[in-house]
Amino acid sequence: MSAVSPEIALRRQPVARNPFGPLATLARRRFQLTAGRPRELFVPLLTPILFALVIAPALKTALHTSTAYEAFVATGTIGLLIPLNTMFSGLSVIVDRESGAQRELLSAPIPRPLLPLGNLLVALATTAFQVAVLLGVASARRIHFDITAGGFLWFLAASVLFTIGMYGMAEVLAGRVPKAEEYIARVPAVAIVPWFLAGSLFPIDALPVVLTWIARFLPLTHGLALVRYGLLNDASALHDIWGMHSASGMAALSLLVVAAFALVLTRAAIRVFSHSALK
Amino acid sequence: MALALKPLDSDGWADTAQPEPPAIVVRALAKTYPGGVEAVKAIDFEVETGEVFGLLGPNGAGKSTTIGMLTTTVRPTSGSATLVGHDVASEPLGARAASSVVFQDPVVDRSLTGRRNLEIHARLWRVPQAEAAPRIGEIAAAVGVEELLERPVSTYSGGQRRRLEIARALVSHPRVLFLDEPTVGLDPRIRAELLDVISGLRARYRMTILLTTHYLDEADRLCDRIAVMHLGEIVACDSPEALRATLGDEILELRIEGDGRAALDALRAESIADCAAFAVGSTVAVPLRERRPVDVLSQIHALGVTTQAVTTRLPTLDDVYLRLTGGRLRADA
Repeated sequence: MSAVSPEIALRRQPVARNPFGPLATLARRRFQLTAGRPRELFVPLLTPILFALVIAPALKTALHTSTAYEAFVATGTIGLLIPLNTMFSGLSVIVDRESGAQRELLSAPIPRPLLPLGNLLVALATTAFQVAVLLGVASARRIHFDITAGGFLWFLAASVLFTIGMYGMAEVLAGRVPKAEEYIARVPAVAIVPWFLAGSLFPIDALPVVLTWIARFLPLTHGLALVRYGLLNDASALHDIWGMHSASGMAALSLLVVAAFALVLTRAAIRVFSHSALK
Repeated sequence: MALALKPLDSDGWADTAQPEPPAIVVRALAKTYPGGVEAVKAIDFEVETGEVFGLLGPNGAGKSTTIGMLTTTVRPTSGSATLVGHDVASEPLGARAASSVVFQDPVVDRSLTGRRNLEIHARLWRVPQAEAAPRIGEIAAAVGVEELLERPVSTYSGGQRRRLEIARALVSHPRVLFLDEPTVGLDPRIRAELLDVISGLRARYRMTILLTTHYLDEADRLCDRIAVMHLGEIVACDSPEALRATLGDEILELRIEGDGRAALDALRAESIADCAAFAVGSTVAVPLRERRPVDVLSQIHALGVTTQAVTTRLPTLDDVYLRLTGGRLRADA
């Protein structure tokens, strides 16, 4: 019997490097699990639709304002919808961890950053669906939007980047808290409190000066200002933040803020996930 | 090139003339968790290709940490480990591609069907799509879940779910299969069925299996070699037969009045019992080593040790385990 060099005899398993196949598989798995629980798609919609369709018109009537307040609030509720949906999506990380499914995914021959990225794809898709439903319902109630092709791109970029950032925050939170109960207890502070400060129901300059300054640093404020610029062709929220004259210049700066938010939180999410996955 | 497991009778795996290097090589592997807990202390072992290797030990012995390091979910503090030639620290993707794990706790998605769970595993392990469906069918039949595949896993019984977990791990045709306490928590009937399944798989496929368990009959039945872990160290590693042989051909088991350990110390002091003897509670086990039971018993009574019951029997793996782990526990106490 002759000796065989280990290099020949081991017949090492080749490792495929293309990450898109596993990413699609992870996203499909997450989508199938989410679609199996339709409440995850529709529950986050209830409050924003209530705000846009019931509360805003009621406030307009009560305040005797003649401005397009329904459109102002309808776009503002996107700033509630995205954080709520992404935070609910983040719960799936804890569910995977508690059910044991995460162990299976961690033992798979795929780069581990793909796991949060697969979840992110589904969070983006469900958020897009919900925002589309919200805007569709608002249009059906004759709330008027002033959308141009360029404006739509500002809206799209801001919404996507803000969703990415918020999902990153959800992953970070899910990686740091051990139980779903603790996670849910933190959701209002992350998803709802900033909404009241970010110019959702009223312009930020209506806030006390200190809070106005705080609002200028919130990514949500920038995201909402961009959404209004895109859907209503209204740059006043951008002006409240930057105080400049060039609408597109202010929009670019706000988009930069939202992009930085998305980048930092996504990197943090991957880092936290990888750290918590490897003991 | 996809590597497929081959049935033993298909093309000469069993008769292959080429010796294969060990599928698992562990060298001075250690893990110290933050806070200074030394879970695994520089262990060494090798597992040959096609071998079933058991890691035995009580809770906290370091078995799960060892499996965690080999499956790349626990970062080793020092030392090295390779799986089919892939270093688990520097080539984790290769190591994971070559292996699969049946975890102690369920990992399948309960709201998905059995088939969907297997498909997800196949895709993540990059089984070509054309191969996945027939392979799923074959493996599901081998573990007896083919009739259940279209049902959501939430409708499965505990035993059915466990079978699906095993099928899931096999879909990728792993070179190395880790079974981490695969039968824990199952009722005896399901456990016996599952052991049959695992034995059958071993006969059918040529794969290396690393099994952790604290059911000694399970290890005795399935494993070619066993490493007994205790407090992070491997305190013995050999075949079940060789491990049993360390206790000789026959054991004298005494149930005594009073403290078994004190009695054992007295027997050792008079050279009636050697270092392989051990005590658990009020029971003392003394290897006879070619001596007649009646002679040993008269020596024991001459020492003033009062026995309540006496029996002789063959050594079991339980005896080996108790000697190795119980003795150490006492020494550390």
